[in-house]
Amino acid sequence: MSYEDKLLISHLLRRAGFGATPEELERYISIGYENTVEELLNPNSPENMPNDVIFRLFPEYHAAIGVDAAANWGYRMVTTRCPLEEKLALFWHGVLATACNKLNYPLVGLNQIEMFRQFGFGKFDNILLELSKDPAMIVFLDNQTNHKDAMNENYGREILELFSMGVGNYSEDDIKECARAFTGWTIANADYMELMSQKDSIWPYSRISWHFEYREEDHDDGVKTFLGETGRFNGNDVIEIICKQDATAKFISRHLYNFFVADEVPVPQWNITPPKDPEAINKLTNTYFKDGHDIRSMLRVLFNSDFFKRSQFEKIKSPVELVVGTIRSTGECQTPSIDMIKAVEEANYMGQSILFPPSVEGWHTGEEWITSGSLVNRVNFASDHMSNLDNPGVENIVNHILENNNSPMTPQQVVDNCIEVLGPLEISADTKVSLLEVASKLDRIESNGHSLQQKTIELIQELIRMIVSSKEYQFV
Amino acid sequence: MKYLKTIGLKSNQPAGRGFVFPYDISFASDGKIFAINRGRFKQGWSSIHMLTFDEEWIGDFGRGKPNDNYHFELPIALAFDSKDLLYLTDEALDEIKIFDTEGNFIEKWDAARLGSDLDGPAGITIDSEDFLYVVERNNNRVNKISPDGRSILKWGEFGTSDGQFNMPWGLSLDSENNVYVADWRNDRIQKFTSDGEFISVFGESGYGQGQFNRPSSVVIDSKGNIIVADWGNERIQILNADGSFKMFLHGEATLSKWAVDWFNANKDEFDARQESDLRIKRLPQHLRTPYHVGSQTEHVFFGPVSVKLDSEDRLYITEHSRSRIQIYEQN
Repeated sequence: MSYEDKLLISHLLRRAGFGATPEELERYISIGYENTVEELLNPNSPENMPNDVIFRLFPEYHAAIGVDAAANWGYRMVTTRCPLEEKLALFWHGVLATACNKLNYPLVGLNQIEMFRQFGFGKFDNILLELSKDPAMIVFLDNQTNHKDAMNENYGREILELFSMGVGNYSEDDIKECARAFTGWTIANADYMELMSQKDSIWPYSRISWHFEYREEDHDDGVKTFLGETGRFNGNDVIEIICKQDATAKFISRHLYNFFVADEVPVPQWNITPPKDPEAINKLTNTYFKDGHDIRSMLRVLFNSDFFKRSQFEKIKSPVELVVGTIRSTGECQTPSIDMIKAVEEANYMGQSILFPPSVEGWHTGEEWITSGSLVNRVNFASDHMSNLDNPGVENIVNHILENNNSPMTPQQVVDNCIEVLGPLEISADTKVSLLEVASKLDRIESNGHSLQQKTIELIQELIRMIVSSKEYQFV
Repeated sequence: MKYLKTIGLKSNQPAGRGFVFPYDISFASDGKIFAINRGRFKQGWSSIHMLTFDEEWIGDFGRGKPNDNYHFELPIALAFDSKDLLYLTDEALDEIKIFDTEGNFIEKWDAARLGSDLDGPAGITIDSEDFLYVVERNNNRVNKISPDGRSILKWGEFGTSDGQFNMPWGLSLDSENNVYVADWRNDRIQKFTSDGEFISVFGESGYGQGQFNRPSSVVIDSKGNIIVADWGNERIQILNADGSFKMFLHGEATLSKWAVDWFNANKDEFDARQESDLRIKRLPQHLRTPYHVGSQTEHVFFGPVSVKLDSEDRLYITEHSRSRIQIYEQN
């Protein structure tokens, strides 16, 4: 396989997952690009950190309170053998955003993530249907207060504005009719659960998780006219109408493009700023309709497309991508410990707190991830973890950099090896010059079959630290 | 088994009545209940709480600074000896700490003291002659310890065969001093003589009768029934003495005295609760596991981690994620 093919597969693994260790990359290279895409699209056995072991040591994870819930998801992302399943759940979590700080119960947020795992690859209609019945979303957007005789438009508005069609593609009357259709879609014991949530009540026996309840007696069964169609619509009916719309197909296509291909402008600007690549959006939109609104089909087209393959290093890593990708590389957090909590807190300091998006709009992505403060956190995190030889993954990386070199390496070779094993990455000429200056400190970089010179290891540590601190490393 | 009552209450403070992840209990000779209040890891709240059957709050001890004798990291199990000394295992600190019934520290037994490696001590039980039996999670074995604190016998290793273990958790004795071990990750209960000779094994992985999902604790009642905390299945399973299935318990919690007191001071929540039906009728497919049922239904078990019997053969089931203990009596 050529170096270009290796670059391409590593690009796929970064975008469709959280990167790959050298061994994982070798395995995927051996099966080829298209087969890798299919394997990612059809998650089989995730083999991630088992919950029983986590719960045994930390009952707080079992109860899923606060940051423990986010760390639980962190374990899944770091240890999974099905990275696209977790990456797609992260995608939906950002698009169909629900913030647990309003709910005061992160377990219901985790249940929503589980729903994304179960339904996230399937038909978009089903995703919207499950979302509409998801207790976390119901309470987040107050649909439990949406009654037949006292409507609350919040969910009716957001499902159109942020979750499907986007601003400018429906009227205020459509919002009202949509809200009417979702009356009666609530949670069991809504008054009690809402009161406990508002008061952040943990009594008497800790929080009680929520479940969906449909109250027919509270549903407005009257005739509605929604997006030009008329009937006694219930929630599932309006979802079917929404999913038939061109605007929905384009909106979801653009979200997929923004998350997996290249950074777009923030979503609030989408109704005035055209897509970066209209042809790509059209291709995805066509697939949406051709394959019955199937997300897996859309992703298959996306990952196999030229516009995806050309987009290497055009996105800025989100904090979660940076943190999880780094931890997967370093091999840390393979056993339950407090370290995963620290890792998700680091992503929080960088601007992305999973299960706690800042609003129903999710996160603003791309360049907005980078501030003077977040950049310092990002660089420090990556360089601290990736240069620590006590981390098994780092030791493995160093060994890969030096393997198969029975003869002394030149400084250029060791720099090239570092860049390849850490990615392969795309490094600018200026950065390479800096790396070469450091590598040239050693006239001869040697490894023999039985021991490594300490100077060589220190040099490689320094080079790794420089690479992961570089501007280029912020891109994926 | 007939449900009797619930004791306990969730707490948001380290001290005072109420629990933050209770993990195990044991009974002093006067019937006083000692309960591990585990708290969150590294929170510094780990302590032992003391209370009575009638929910009279007595006090607590622990919450020491690191390296202090009253500091606990992952306290997991308790047992009293014939002299009313309380033994606490800590599977992070790899030690057994001993206290009296006033909560005064007496002694600490670690690997050096025992003359034996001690790696992840979990369940503990003490026979009538004050010999201790401690399971070690990471060594996958049972460690028998003399009354004066010397390791005298060890049996077991990692594996799935008879006499092998996978992260064992709780253990208990019957009236003949046979040892029953909750072989946690093998989803079974193994029975040995007090000298470590294998006798029999009960159970396999699953949700059916005679099947377990990560059993964490076991106790034998006066009739020889084998009572298992089927932790991963969020239930209690009771077997006959020959290991055949007898019955399940799924939990029937009611309001404890402390809970009633709390609601008396929070009428708005009480009134909303009165209008509610907290028993679930239907769940979506992705939320039907025992874990999800337990998290969504207040009265059933959620984290049933320990089963213990008092001097009247009443069964106490400690639930770490509901901060309470449900008590059953024999029919």
